[in-house]
Amino acid sequence: MTIFRWRGPGFPGSILELERMRNYMENVYSTLANGVNNFRRNYTGVFPLVNLAEDDDNLYLTAELPGIDPQSLDLSVKNDTVTLKGAKKVEPEVKEVNYHRRERDIGVFRRSVSLPVKVQAEAVEAKFKNGILSVTLPKVAEAKAHQISITT
Amino acid sequence: MTDTNSREINVKEKQPLDTGGIENTRDEARFSPEVDIYESEDGLTVIADMPGVTAEGLSVDLKDNILTIQGTVQPQERRPKILLKEYETGDYFRQFSLSELIDQEKITASIKDGVLSVKLPNKAPAQPRKISVVTE
Repeated sequence: MTIFRWRGPGFPGSILELERMRNYMENVYSTLANGVNNFRRNYTGVFPLVNLAEDDDNLYLTAELPGIDPQSLDLSVKNDTVTLKGAKKVEPEVKEVNYHRRERDIGVFRRSVSLPVKVQAEAVEAKFKNGILSVTLPKVAEAKAHQISITT
Repeated sequence: MTDTNSREINVKEKQPLDTGGIENTRDEARFSPEVDIYESEDGLTVIADMPGVTAEGLSVDLKDNILTIQGTVQPQERRPKILLKEYETGDYFRQFSLSELIDQEKITASIKDGVLSVKLPNKAPAQPRKISVVTE
């Protein structure tokens, strides 16, 4: 945001010129910053990438974890933080193979996501289907929106 | 090779597909799935990460030595408010050119936990033909 300051008449011209340059630079920086934000969104760079949504009662967390054994997946919820841990192994069925391409990454992962509100940890439900983990986290009663009836 | 006990997985953003001007009728983004391709004595195996794709939404096709892998995902439930969006969802599409040594009749594909596995067996080696020599 650029703040324009009102200048009285007779304000020295050279300072106005400086002001114009400053505005120009601010524009350049904000354009650059917006461009980067649009491109990377809320990119954190930690595997797995997650999407988080909410409605009045629940928070919904999803993550793409193709090829991960659901047994090795460890999900825990504490206060307002969800932690996901696991490992991905990629092993060919036969031993002697010659790789043409190896794009799928292997290793361990650990990711914590802090939630905007507290959730009922004991009521959290998680399912793993087609390589997508979906977690439904019910909000605590205090965090839910209350409908207030207006009397006339 | 790599020690799977300590190495952390690097995050890779999904690569949106360059459609070359041809658009999908459905307004879904398309991505290029990450693949492993390896060759063994029996043939070639293609493994592709396609989270969200079921057997019904999957199409594996070989034509003119071009292997086409396509996966459609069910549109996600619309939530009233998105708080964080680190990844996009959409369909998958990728093509590979193969050698002519593949036995096209014996290709098998399976999908489990969002991972597609396509097995492309080699053609049986040509049987040596015995030529009988007739003596006059």
